[in-house]
Amino acid sequence: MKPVIELKKVYKTYEMGETTVEALKNVTLQINQGEFVAITGPSGSGKSTLMNIVGCLDTPTSGTVLLDGKDITKLSESQLAQTRGKKIGFVFQQFNLIPTLNAMQNVMLPQEFQDTDSAIAGKKSKQLLDLVGLSDRMTHLPSQLSGGQLQRVAIARALSVDPDIILADEPTGNLDTKTGQFIMQTLKEINKNNGKTIILVTHDLHLARMAKKIIMIKDGQVEKIEVNK
Amino acid sequence: MKIAKSFKLALNILVHSKLRSWLTILGIVIGVAAIVAIVSIGEGLKQNVQSRLQGMGADQITISPGGGRAQGGFRGPGGPEDDHGGGSGVTSEDTKNLTKIDLQVLRSVPNVAAVQGIISGRGEAYYLAQTATLSVQGVDPTAYNEMTSAELESGRFLGPSDYNAIVVGYSIASRTFKQPLALNRIITIEGKPFKIVGILKESGSMGGDDNRIIMPIDAARDTLPDMDPNRLDTIIIKAATADDVDQVTLDADTKLMMSRHKTNSTKDYSIRSAKEAQARMASISSTLTLFLGAIAAVSLLVGAIGITNTMFTSVLEKTKEIGIMKAIGAKNRDILMIFMLNAALVGAVGGLLGIALGTLTSKLLPLIGLRLMGGGPGGMTTAVTPQLVILAFAVAVGIGIIAGAIPAYRASKLKPVDALRYE
Repeated sequence: MKPVIELKKVYKTYEMGETTVEALKNVTLQINQGEFVAITGPSGSGKSTLMNIVGCLDTPTSGTVLLDGKDITKLSESQLAQTRGKKIGFVFQQFNLIPTLNAMQNVMLPQEFQDTDSAIAGKKSKQLLDLVGLSDRMTHLPSQLSGGQLQRVAIARALSVDPDIILADEPTGNLDTKTGQFIMQTLKEINKNNGKTIILVTHDLHLARMAKKIIMIKDGQVEKIEVNK
Repeated sequence: MKIAKSFKLALNILVHSKLRSWLTILGIVIGVAAIVAIVSIGEGLKQNVQSRLQGMGADQITISPGGGRAQGGFRGPGGPEDDHGGGSGVTSEDTKNLTKIDLQVLRSVPNVAAVQGIISGRGEAYYLAQTATLSVQGVDPTAYNEMTSAELESGRFLGPSDYNAIVVGYSIASRTFKQPLALNRIITIEGKPFKIVGILKESGSMGGDDNRIIMPIDAARDTLPDMDPNRLDTIIIKAATADDVDQVTLDADTKLMMSRHKTNSTKDYSIRSAKEAQARMASISSTLTLFLGAIAAVSLLVGAIGITNTMFTSVLEKTKEIGIMKAIGAKNRDILMIFMLNAALVGAVGGLLGIALGTLTSKLLPLIGLRLMGGGPGGMTTAVTPQLVILAFAVAVGIGIIAGAIPAYRASKLKPVDALRYE
């Protein structure tokens, strides 16, 4: 299997006033194409820092991060944004939709940042909203949608530019159990049917067990990697 | 990201902006409106003055008795004047009238098309059992007809053979007497009968003859009280072309000084061209416009600071959204563009509303009777010129962009991780 993301000897340190906090210490891991991976660990374990680096939202203090074999630590901020926009789709706990744009416009937005033609972007966005079962909610503003619907719009947005990787950060954290299960099911289907690599970041071990591979983080280091059969 | 998309997002931010943003826009609206209204007063004043001065004719030079060099105040042609200013040290006692000799002297100045002497005075007029004291001007009919810019409402101008004939100004004809004056009526002036041969159109201009009776100079000399047979109150020179005015003014001045045995410092008459007066008035009204505009600009500056302030708050408020946009692929340039366009839009909307409000105010100002500024017939006029509108709009947009630059730059530099964490 082809690796999509590789971390080699990654360190991340934060300066907090006088003290230095080592959020990640010598993390080396590999995520392969089409895998469903969970990153889990208690709060303060460095899980979020790892997610930011895996998602190319942040660069490590030292070490290399290879995305599709290319070292992203050498990219400029704009190049990083461009790469991130093209390769990675985000699903957040807080949904993080733009409140002043309707569902359709939110889904179109990542394509617009990639300068996709409007007609193509519109067609694609319609299909995606259809896929997540929201074809009747396209012109609704986020404030007019329920939590589950919001997260489905967010998933549609994450798929908008057809990225290789979907990074889901506690995607069910703000949802009730039933809706949460539906979202997890949707992610699983995307993994299975569309061959997308899904990276699920969660503190909930139970939820993490739904993934094929579980990376457990503790004190900024990879504690162990479990593979579900 | 394409500029059209950035513009759409910027517009989206504006449309969904809170009351606070609209209050900011109001700051720009008021600033722009103030500038438009104030500058329109200045423009109106300028146009007013120019149209009134046009009555004098650009190719004419007026010589009046009384000291004072070019730095004296502006005076219209006609009417006896004494000028205590001008630094010449000449007082009214020293003032000597212009005479027929001066007229002869001036006729010999090169590039002069015509010269006419005018006497002015006031005479008691009697018409249908009503008396009124009116301003009377005695003119040389041939020269007058060549020089005047007045137009006839009815009748004709004076001819060389006229004696007991007068042309009356519009105001006198229509307003002075209970019964309006009509052609061929006889009116008695200082006991002598005169026939009205012409009535002038309303000129409304400073050099116009609205409130004047014009009669042949010989008749005026015989009729008006205290008339010296040689005295002239005003001499008007018409230059061959408007381009000759400056040279003719200079030559006439030199010749007149020689014949009157005066020097620049003892000069007892003043000579000025309409052109010069126009230039001076234009410069005065420009200065006034600039001064008033500067006051209005202060309010615009306050508006600009308001925009900056609101933009900073807006960026702070939208930190999370900026983080989201960056996470899903927005480059720094995209964010910068969106916020700059937003600021420009705030300026543009403020500018448009301000221009509308300013134009409205400028139309209303003359109605609420700020008559003192314009003076004269018609009171104050204001003018909103296309240049003013374009300038005001450009300034508003420019201010928006300048005011929004720093907040937009800050927004573009936000780190996606930090911005996403922002609550």
